[in-house]
Amino acid sequence: MSRMELYSPEGLRIDGRRWNELRRFESRINTHPNSCDGSSYVEQGNTKVICMVQGPMEPSSRSQADSAGATIEVNLSVASFSTFERKKRSKSEKRMVEMKATLERTFQQSVMCHLYPRTLISIDIHVLAQDGGLLASMANAVTLALIDAGVAMYDYVSCISVGLHDQTPLLDLNGLEEQDISTLTIGVIGKTEKLALLMLEDKMPLDHLESTLGIAIAATHRIRDLMDDEVRKHGNLRSSKLAKN
Amino acid sequence: MEVAEVISITKPSSSRPFEDVDDDNDSDVEMNNTTNQSIVTPGELITDDPIWMKGHGTYFINDKTYSSVAGTVSRVNRLLSVIPIRGRYQPETGDHIVGRITEVGNKRWKVDIGAKQDAVLMLGSVNLPGGILRRKSETDELQMRNFLKEGDLLNAEVQTIFNNGIASLHTRSLKYGKLRNGIFLKVPSSLIIKSKNHAFDLTGNISCVLGVNGYIWLYKTNVNNPTSNNNNNNSNNSNNPSITRLEEESSWEIYSDKNDTTITNSIRSNITRYYNIIKALSYCELGITEQRISMGYEASLAYVNLGSLNDKDAMETICQDIINNEKMRGIN
Repeated sequence: MSRMELYSPEGLRIDGRRWNELRRFESRINTHPNSCDGSSYVEQGNTKVICMVQGPMEPSSRSQADSAGATIEVNLSVASFSTFERKKRSKSEKRMVEMKATLERTFQQSVMCHLYPRTLISIDIHVLAQDGGLLASMANAVTLALIDAGVAMYDYVSCISVGLHDQTPLLDLNGLEEQDISTLTIGVIGKTEKLALLMLEDKMPLDHLESTLGIAIAATHRIRDLMDDEVRKHGNLRSSKLAKN
Repeated sequence: MEVAEVISITKPSSSRPFEDVDDDNDSDVEMNNTTNQSIVTPGELITDDPIWMKGHGTYFINDKTYSSVAGTVSRVNRLLSVIPIRGRYQPETGDHIVGRITEVGNKRWKVDIGAKQDAVLMLGSVNLPGGILRRKSETDELQMRNFLKEGDLLNAEVQTIFNNGIASLHTRSLKYGKLRNGIFLKVPSSLIIKSKNHAFDLTGNISCVLGVNGYIWLYKTNVNNPTSNNNNNNSNNSNNPSITRLEEESSWEIYSDKNDTTITNSIRSNITRYYNIIKALSYCELGITEQRISMGYEASLAYVNLGSLNDKDAMETICQDIINNEKMRGIN
């Protein structure tokens, strides 16, 4: 075992998962009830993300006021301690700018922006730890935070990353796997097969794309259920509290 | 590879322990849960019956109505809407609110009221110093910043909602206007229970404006002009029509920026005490009413040190006292 084996002949990955196995997904909603309108915390394996949503609110500058619908602004901050090696990251890094733009465009579509003309929805994302599937975790966290803020949206946007090793799709890559094989991140609206987000930074053979997408869509549906459970749990707790008053 | 099955491993029934703890605390929680309509979440099908009209929090595709927010379904006649569990304040005509000026514009002020968009306060809907009722002239426009400037707090009433959702306010009454001699406090607007009176006097020479938007102002009671019930009695007794009082009392002083010089230390500490009580109510997510604030004040007297009211334990104790008190009086 001198060389790292991404996928053993027995069908196990570096961290002992099967090819179609998700990492532990945990989420929490309304984590910061006093400092923002909506907040969430998402853990996908060792990737940990906090998201806070302000708004819809009056935009600070006139240029952000769009009379057709709400403007969505995403602010990304990746903690310097989020990777194994401590490293300072600037917001102007090319990858950051792209992720920010991707998220903005994704949620501009799935949020019912036309209901909130001339307002700004400001989304702050803090990455506490990263171990693969960063964009997916961020999008999942944003979905939960927007729901917590009471912003109207068509359905959940649930995201997952998937890679292709030889001919086997590997679901929900961790950091080590992500370094070695090409990664596709998709975001699906609800339980449909409509994609709200699709990101592929390197190449993937076309004839395997369909099976890869198939397993990824099935995984996003599972993630949606997991997020839905959390929202319901929180909602029932809250409504029982209100009924007591 | 066409078998698209996903394995996911989750914590074994992580939700159980929490629920069990809740059930132990008071057994009626479970009953409430069953009687409550359950929660709907975004994208959930509410009904496929096209007879329902779609209201807020829903959307409509192919004769099917789906929810667009997480909340409870409300059915009024044939209007179907979903009320979100959390969300920003939604202004309604007649709401008594507290706001902060964010911008002085052309014949209008922009006011932050914690809603999705800032409200407007037209120059035509404020009282002029001196109480003269007349059309507002150009000179009034030029000295708008002398009446109210950016950062000033005021209490007002929502006059109308424009069809783009922006609220229009007015302060054409002596109980509205600029706020001073006190402290500002913000709580979630869902905690404010609408009532007949949102401005009232409390024991200890303190008055309170409980804005429906969750913005609260606690201040020293104005001796000449007590806010609530006493006010009505006075005007009834002396038979003073409000117009004359307006002329007498609304001098430049109603737009003064200076606090009274006579705010004693005891008043300051009383304001702090009420501030902490309201914070405790909001921490425990109890609805905030005049009665509960008064009961909280009585309960808080056990704590001599005001700072200790900020402790988690103290906040919970006070709220528990209030709930017990209400049960005893048979409110609830």
